Amino acid sequence: MSAPSQLPPLPADLTLDRPRARAAARGEGVLSIVVALAASLFLLFLVAPLVGLVGGGGAAGLRQLVSDDELQFSLLLTIGTATLATLLGIMGATPVAYALARGRFRGRSFLAAMIDLPLLIPHPVAGIALLLVLGRNTPLGSALWAMGMQITGSVTGIVCAMLFVSAPLYVSAAREAFDRVDPRFEGVARTLGDSAWQAMRRVTLPLAWRGLLAAAIVMWARAVSEFGAIVILVYHPRVASVLSYERFTAFGLREALPVAAVLVLLALVPLVALRALRGDERLPSRRR
Amino acid sequence: MISLDNVSAQVGDFRLEDISFTVPQGSYGIVIGPTGAGKTTLVEAIAGVVPTTKGRVMLGGTDLTHAPPEQRRLSLVYQHAYLFPHLTVRENVGYGSTSSRVTVEMLERFGLGEVAGRDVRVLSGGERQLVAIARALARRPEVLLLDEPFAALDPRRRVTVRRELRTIYFERRFTALQVTHDFHEAGLLGDVGVVLDRGRLLQVAKPEELFRKPASPMVADFLGAENVFAGTVQPIRDAVPDWVPSADAEDVEHAVAFTTGGVTLYALGHVIPGNAHAVIRSDDISLSRVAGASSVRNQFRGIVTELAPAGAITRVSIDVGGLPLVAAVTTRSARELQLAPGVEVFAAFKATAVHIC
Repeated sequence: MSAPSQLPPLPADLTLDRPRARAAARGEGVLSIVVALAASLFLLFLVAPLVGLVGGGGAAGLRQLVSDDELQFSLLLTIGTATLATLLGIMGATPVAYALARGRFRGRSFLAAMIDLPLLIPHPVAGIALLLVLGRNTPLGSALWAMGMQITGSVTGIVCAMLFVSAPLYVSAAREAFDRVDPRFEGVARTLGDSAWQAMRRVTLPLAWRGLLAAAIVMWARAVSEFGAIVILVYHPRVASVLSYERFTAFGLREALPVAAVLVLLALVPLVALRALRGDERLPSRRR
Repeated sequence: MISLDNVSAQVGDFRLEDISFTVPQGSYGIVIGPTGAGKTTLVEAIAGVVPTTKGRVMLGGTDLTHAPPEQRRLSLVYQHAYLFPHLTVRENVGYGSTSSRVTVEMLERFGLGEVAGRDVRVLSGGERQLVAIARALARRPEVLLLDEPFAALDPRRRVTVRRELRTIYFERRFTALQVTHDFHEAGLLGDVGVVLDRGRLLQVAKPEELFRKPASPMVADFLGAENVFAGTVQPIRDAVPDWVPSADAEDVEHAVAFTTGGVTLYALGHVIPGNAHAVIRSDDISLSRVAGASSVRNQFRGIVTELAPAGAITRVSIDVGGLPLVAAVTTRSARELQLAPGVEVFAAFKATAVHIC
């Protein structure tokens, strides 16, 4: 029996280079610290102003909610108009979102881009654009005025401004919700006797409702926070964002702080609702 | 009856083009083809789920090309079931059902009674497919379209479900069209076989004819023929007077010699002289260790190159003067003949077993 031959040496790149390994570990450690530091600074930048605002004016804002009639009215107006704008958005934009998700028609990309445009332009510009179409001296505005419908300086105007700037968000999110429903579900429903409307009602909407509700919540939150377009179209009656701006310019930071803090707290409502909706989506079904 | 006349359809970049075939009333059609052949698009076009761009779709003798799916009196079962996830098993089966009695009957027939109240999302793949089939049948369709309906089932359940579906089919005698990858299933179920590839129709025939007489080497290859050879063909009718043409003057089959490499095979066929392909099914080739005197026209000496036993059947690869032949024999025969790589054998097959295309 021959003696066992000696093992060949490992290739140079596979041998353990201890100094190099230590240097690599050191490099990874430094990188982790840099990333953590950058992330912390970024989070601080996002959160600190809001925490400062709520911390500085939250309690006063909640107290004012009870005693300040103007703030109460402004908040109710904001919530009411945002809700109305959202309902109108759901009614008008849901078919558009569905058509964009399912339709294969000429000009689909152009239509989608047009719908996204209000999201990209500065909001005062959106207000000016609305004023050019709905202002009292425009053909449409004067016709509406003649029918007793005032846009500028009215609740209707607030709803129009909110709808204009926030509906594109709804269309985009609702389109994604419809995209997530495989069209073959509708196809099967149709072969089982449903008309297109019945398949939509019995299959598509029940499967897409979470996404549609999330889209509506996002739209509502955006409508509540709108300022630029509203202030151009309707200064009075004042929604909460306009009221906080007015108090800031007329009385300074101290007076504006409680109103602003209440607006931040109000924004938490849709945020919590969205979180709950997504959390519920991940839960297994309880039906057996 | 399902009758398609030059039907074309488009889904994205994929085009289904000029498809024509008929599945007679009460018959069972089978659609076979490789992945990407357009099988699903075809059944979707028949169902009206995918619009046709050309041609006519006739169902039960009525032109329903432009009718919406709900007016076509058909049901469609997809490979992935597409059960409505927000409904229970019972609600799914009852979705398009003609009555609650039929729903209960379908639940019972497919053994779904115990899971009727369950959320469909907790079902196994096999159970989901059963629900999809029960849901489709509860509508009492005149035409049933099935897109690989047994693919998700385990072998034992596949046999049971296929048998149950077959029983219901014989009871009701609806017209069915089933997409499958399974050649065995195609031979077992089908009255009409349709072969598709890349959106085009390759052949329509009875399943056994598809296997025996494929229209092209592509069809032969897809249907699992192991011996497909390219070569040239020449009629030899005059040289072989003992070969009599068919009695039908319109259907004269010529005796032909097919040459591939250095080997000449004898066959019958309606053949234009020139380049062609010869197809021989492996189970038509018999093997022996000695040359025998018989009526078999094709007998070749060869050397075994490989044995591939698979249960009761062994596939034997033989080199016949450079021509690679594969014969399927019983494993017992292979053992009795003492077949092994390097052994000399004689491969024999009748001229009628050689299909020229």
